[in-house]
Amino acid sequence: MIELNNMQFSWKEALILDIEHLKIKANEKVFIQGESGSGKSTLLNLMAGVITPQKGEVIISNQHLSTMKSFQRDNFRANHIGFIFQQFNLIPYLNLLENIILPCKFSLSRKEKALKHSKTLEEEAIRLLGNLGINASSILKRKVSELSIGQQQRVAIARALIGSPDIIIADEPTSALDSKHKASFVKILFDECEKENITLVFVSHDESLKSHFQRCIKLSSINGVKAEEVE
Amino acid sequence: MMSMFTLAFKSIQSRKTTFFLTFFSIALSVMLLLSVQIIKKEANSGFMQPVSGTDLIIGPKSSQIELLLYSVFHIGTPNTLMEYKSYERIQSNKNVKWAIPISLGDSHKGYKVLSTNENFFKHYSYANGKKVEFRQGKAFDDMFHVVLGYEVAKKLNYKLGDNIVLSHGDTEVSFVHHDELPFKVSGILKPTHTPIDKTLIVTLHAMEAIHDDSSGHFMLRPVKNPNQHNVHHEDAHHDESHESEHGEHDEHHEDEYHEEHAEQHEEHAEHSENTFKENLSHKVAKKLKKLPEKISAVYVGVDSKSSILSIQRKINDNTQEPLSAIIPAMAVQDLWGFFDIVQVTLNIISILVVFIGLLGMLSLILMGVQNRRKEMAILRSIGATPFDIGKLIVGEAAIVCGISIGLGVVFLYVALFLSSQPLYDTFGFYLQIAPLSLSELAILALIEFSAILISFIPAYQIYKQSLVDGMNTQI
Repeated sequence: MIELNNMQFSWKEALILDIEHLKIKANEKVFIQGESGSGKSTLLNLMAGVITPQKGEVIISNQHLSTMKSFQRDNFRANHIGFIFQQFNLIPYLNLLENIILPCKFSLSRKEKALKHSKTLEEEAIRLLGNLGINASSILKRKVSELSIGQQQRVAIARALIGSPDIIIADEPTSALDSKHKASFVKILFDECEKENITLVFVSHDESLKSHFQRCIKLSSINGVKAEEVE
Repeated sequence: MMSMFTLAFKSIQSRKTTFFLTFFSIALSVMLLLSVQIIKKEANSGFMQPVSGTDLIIGPKSSQIELLLYSVFHIGTPNTLMEYKSYERIQSNKNVKWAIPISLGDSHKGYKVLSTNENFFKHYSYANGKKVEFRQGKAFDDMFHVVLGYEVAKKLNYKLGDNIVLSHGDTEVSFVHHDELPFKVSGILKPTHTPIDKTLIVTLHAMEAIHDDSSGHFMLRPVKNPNQHNVHHEDAHHDESHESEHGEHDEHHEDEYHEEHAEQHEEHAEHSENTFKENLSHKVAKKLKKLPEKISAVYVGVDSKSSILSIQRKINDNTQEPLSAIIPAMAVQDLWGFFDIVQVTLNIISILVVFIGLLGMLSLILMGVQNRRKEMAILRSIGATPFDIGKLIVGEAAIVCGISIGLGVVFLYVALFLSSQPLYDTFGFYLQIAPLSLSELAILALIEFSAILISFIPAYQIYKQSLVDGMNTQI
């Protein structure tokens, strides 16, 4: 569950986000649509507790992020939130499996949850890749930079999924994919979130993906600050 | 929590080619810094060992370093000699426990000849109380016996009973050989790692005999080489024998200019037939059994340390003969006083080189900071704190420097291993290859600490940056 109340965030004295109320229920799959520069990234950083609003509150899974200390928020994020970025999701000097199990190195609770599914973290990573339609043995030896973008994005899903976090935030995860891959990517992501009861926040400027989601929020309609002003 | 250290290690591993030069330059500077320390320490103890059992060295009036160098290390030649009578006087002093007369000046194939008496084997000690021991044979019980230092016997391949001809003067290629009075090898010493290993030890009587021409006996022999020419040697000592040696003694053959190596080979071939045989000259010399009038120096041991200074003063104020008495341990310290300046200079240079290496590392890391913002955003997204990100950078510096130090220590031991023999051959001190001492480990720790300290610069930069960037990967 994600809840924002009377939240205002400014950067260098310019107000960027002013959201009176936003609530995303547990297990909901929400599409947040916004043009670049509309404050999307800022919103995600606020939801993840990387930054805190100057005013108002951010409540994630019944925890008030605004009252936490910075390291507590980082720890909270490690335990509760999985991320998928636009591209460059993988750390180049770690191998495929190391990349996937990395969140478990930062979060004990995700590690424990992952180990409920499989005997080892590596096995769990391979299992997740299998679910995502990747036969791990064929690419295991390759450097992550040698994977195709589509493969990289699916590895990123596996990383976000490992240890079943409460929420997955996906920031333009399909923008580097062609339209054929886009649909299958969204479908896979949906299925997995469904299985694990994960709340999905999917942020994109691409309206074509909207149809897959139960709920769609236009950032410009909930943000009191108009896009022109942000720019 | 993920150990940022593991992450840092993998990050460095993936960029090892980039860091290769940094590894190399820090490693070399570490090697340089440590070798300066070790060479200094080893040279110091190498110079201290041969004199550690000797309380005083007494010789003709000269500077203490000069006296120390020629009497112990056989470097240089004394300008004057001292009276043998002075030795007897010194020995009779009630505070003197033992006194060893030594006389230098002759050589054998580049190795120095030390003539002394039986006191040498009885009293001389090195490396904190070790006595000279025999590997084979025994000390001389005959006037024309010679005891060989370990290296002399090994390099020249001598056995007990071999015949050895000494050469006049102490240059590598001598023109004058005392071949009318050869010596018989009676003993070969165990290695001492002191100049004794490179020394042939004979009796004072024999030394006097081979230089004595007063009776004319020993020099009477047929002239072998019609193409002889005179040789002028500048040795100031053994004056008595010089005049007569011209003409009679010069039997330098062209083939003696051969390389030492070749010469040794010839010598080996001769060995089998070249066992010692006493000749008439030996018999006459033994009959005469003259002691020398002059010697080079006297090693002295005293009954108690408290009498060292009073004896020293007494010798230095001696009116019968101008003599110098030195405390060898202090003379070695004095000698090192000079090398201290060299050491300080080398230290400064090697510290600077270490810093240049570390700065190279710093610039590599700083360059990486900008390129790695996306990587940092990913780490932040999965829960790394900005502090973790900073730790990653510090960890990288620590690993790069740690590996370089390890590499430097390996380089050091390879260098020590390779240079120990040449150092011993050239300077006569034995480089002991020992594990690193506490102070050397402290130097290494200091270098590592400096690396970590300077990595705070990029670490802070990336910390600040990741606070601002957060999880924004579209940079």
